[in-house]
Amino acid sequence: MFNRRSLLTGATALGGASLLPMMAWAKGGLAAGIYPGPWEDAYRAIVQPALKKAYDIDLEFASLFAVDEIAKLKASRGAPPFDALVLDPGPRITAIEGGLLEKFDPKKLTNASKLPPSFLDQWGVCVSAQVVGIAYNPKKVPAPKGWGDLLKDPWVSRLGLSGFQTTFGTVALIELAKVFGGSETNVEPAMVELKKVLPKVAAVGQPAAMPGLFQQGQCDVMFTNTQVVAILKGKGVDIEFVKPETGAIAFYNTFHISKGSEQVENAYKYFDTIISKDVQTALMQPPFSFVPANKEVVLAPDLPLKSLEEFSGFVVHDWAKINPLRAAWIEKFNKDMAK
Amino acid sequence: MGRRQSFADISYGFVIGAIALLAVVIIVTPVIIVVILSFTDHQSLKFPPTGFSLQWYQQLFDESQSRQIHRAAGNTLEVAALSTLFGVVLGTLAALGLARSRSVAARVADSFFLSPLVLPGIAFGLAALMYFTLIGIRPSLGLVIAGHMIVTVPFVVRTTTASLSQLDPALNDSSQSLGASWFYTLRRVTLPLIFPGIAAGAFLAFMASVDNVPVSLFLSTARTDMLPIRMWGMMEATLDVRIAAISGILITAAFLLMLLMEWTVGLTRRMRD
Amino acid sequence: MTLKPAEWQLALPLGLAFASLFLAPFLLLFGVSFFNDDQITQPGFGQWIKFFGDPFHYKVIADTLLLGVKTVAATVIVGYPLALVFIDLGPRLQRVLIFIIVMPLLLSVVVRTFAWIVVLGREGVINTLLLHLGVISEPLRLLQTELGLVISMTQIEMPLMLLPLISVMSRIEPNLRDASAALGASRWRTLFTVIVPLSMPGLIAGCLLVFASSTTAFISQSIIGGVRLIYLPLLIWQQSLVVFNWPFAAVTSLALLVSVLSVIAALSYLGRRAGGAIHG
Repeated sequence: MFNRRSLLTGATALGGASLLPMMAWAKGGLAAGIYPGPWEDAYRAIVQPALKKAYDIDLEFASLFAVDEIAKLKASRGAPPFDALVLDPGPRITAIEGGLLEKFDPKKLTNASKLPPSFLDQWGVCVSAQVVGIAYNPKKVPAPKGWGDLLKDPWVSRLGLSGFQTTFGTVALIELAKVFGGSETNVEPAMVELKKVLPKVAAVGQPAAMPGLFQQGQCDVMFTNTQVVAILKGKGVDIEFVKPETGAIAFYNTFHISKGSEQVENAYKYFDTIISKDVQTALMQPPFSFVPANKEVVLAPDLPLKSLEEFSGFVVHDWAKINPLRAAWIEKFNKDMAK
Repeated sequence: MGRRQSFADISYGFVIGAIALLAVVIIVTPVIIVVILSFTDHQSLKFPPTGFSLQWYQQLFDESQSRQIHRAAGNTLEVAALSTLFGVVLGTLAALGLARSRSVAARVADSFFLSPLVLPGIAFGLAALMYFTLIGIRPSLGLVIAGHMIVTVPFVVRTTTASLSQLDPALNDSSQSLGASWFYTLRRVTLPLIFPGIAAGAFLAFMASVDNVPVSLFLSTARTDMLPIRMWGMMEATLDVRIAAISGILITAAFLLMLLMEWTVGLTRRMRD
Repeated sequence: MTLKPAEWQLALPLGLAFASLFLAPFLLLFGVSFFNDDQITQPGFGQWIKFFGDPFHYKVIADTLLLGVKTVAATVIVGYPLALVFIDLGPRLQRVLIFIIVMPLLLSVVVRTFAWIVVLGREGVINTLLLHLGVISEPLRLLQTELGLVISMTQIEMPLMLLPLISVMSRIEPNLRDASAALGASRWRTLFTVIVPLSMPGLIAGCLLVFASSTTAFISQSIIGGVRLIYLPLLIWQQSLVVFNWPFAAVTSLALLVSVLSVIAALSYLGRRAGGAIHG
């Protein structure tokens, strides 16, 4: 389990004496979509009390993955089930194109100047980044060097593969494609190479199943982000993170306001709280290990980067180009992988 | 029976017994694994565990550590109880209405009432959320209950219909020819005879509701968190052992329920004697 | 015949509930399927043409129905003998057995799928046992195979088969069995000439539930089966929750609904004929 003590210390340090108060749907209310797992745990423990203390706003979370958030917004068009939400870059484009987000005004954030300017735009604010690379079990296989190694022995027969359904899966497969001559918009080389070694691959699974499959020894190599590795490692799972030689991948998590929300002002206060130095510092501590966005935060030693400038060294992708191709990629993956 | 055991009878006992034993092994193995896992001293759902500990049950019962789980469990039980209640009443009535009719309309209605079982939950959840937003109803606990009733009532209709089709129609007719009212016949003759079917359906419906992911995903709100969705997040993101402990508690509750039934049945029997 | 409501009227309340809570969303879904674009603005048959113009989708439909058939067959073969044992037990043991039978329902789908990863995995219970006994020298591939999926579905769906079956079987007159035995029939003969026909309504109900449930069980299919085994629910999930092409998701859902319901209608018809045969 998480190190509850550090979690509680973090929360109390922020003045969360009334930790997790019972929610009353008062005037000062806000419903926010948040990812299950570390995001929800951390935001309940740290952001919720901080927002209550600073602005007396009662924050309520709907625990949903990015794609589920989009689906609910889309299905309840104009009457959103939550006011604010966190997104990955792919779903973010979907939401913008689908007209599911309110326009965002960076000037309304008092802490805006503390973020790199590129972290703010007309649709939302970036609060954290995820770093994607390769995870492996050091007791079973040697450390792979790069994406290409995944398709060679001894790794390929221990590889756990997931498809284009998730952000991390998509960007990892793109990087794999690049090794064999592909590009951001051409993943075909990866599919060709994968097909050759397919019978050897240990598991081709749902992204949701990967941590469980890894832990039970069904596969010993997979692609994932640093946060998952940190959490599993903290739970005693034999897992290590490798930055591939072509560079680890970074993508940003952004916060947005749902179209039709009646709590727009509170949403800005929520974002302002999240990007404040104290909250960002607390979110960075283990077991949560969020990569901060606030420039004033002194980076913790166990993060995958030493300073925010290092982001220029990470591989980033243009999701405006990727998104229109993704449906076809998923279909192709289905057909190529099908038994 | 004074009849000598023939070879056929011995082979019957052997074959049927062996397969039944296999069935029990298949049913019980995953359950045992989950129960063992819930007592692990490891930090994640790793099987086999290295040692024994009650920490996951302690964490699960601890108000400050598992508040969200408690809230979700409360919602889930409320939804399951109410949706099953409505489902049993409406479903049994519908089964009574349709079971013995041979008209085409009755057959169509019969398939109609089964169709939620066949329409994938994601599709129904999506369509329901779109539809209710369109007519101006926002997601709420009431809507979750209604949605669960729709997707679980087929169990009641199906098992009750099966029991009814076995019922000798002559029983009904003779009761009514003896002057009993329709309602009296229903209460004193039909219902007791089809009760096993209704009970089986109700149980299936209740558990299907407790375990429903897709309908809850779409129709619940930030304030109506549901247990399976929460468990899904706990499993995927952190391999949290508390999800095994939750199942351990459900199994224990069912076991206690069985003992309670055992006890009450024994009691009534003694009182009758 | 005093105070007897017309029987069909009893189905009215559920009918009304279904019309407002199920049929209306369903028709909306049906309507959505006739749009060409995922923003649902251009009407047309594009998605239907896309779905039925691709032979891959026919294979997926066939695989999905076949998975249902295999699961039904496995639950009947393994479950029916257990039901036979059940009716011969005393009331106390019967209650214990009922408890065992409903056990799979007490495990949440989330935990249950994880438990099957533990059982079927490369370093799982079965492989460890077989390696230990020297039956095999290399771990078998069970997880993410159809065999493994059907084995796990047999457990998951067993209660859906057994509960209706037992509720019908336990109402068969014991006299009938005794009479059959007294007439010199072997137990096998009694089974096939007396018990099986009389238990038909329960057996059919169980088959219906198992078939419907196993063909739509997205979580079990995709976690235990992996994504190389492709069934319709996986496509529906991808289209509705990953690429947000709801018109295509609607077409796929309707394809699943219609194909599964037609199998069920056929089974149901057989069930009524069997039921009719008993009461003449």
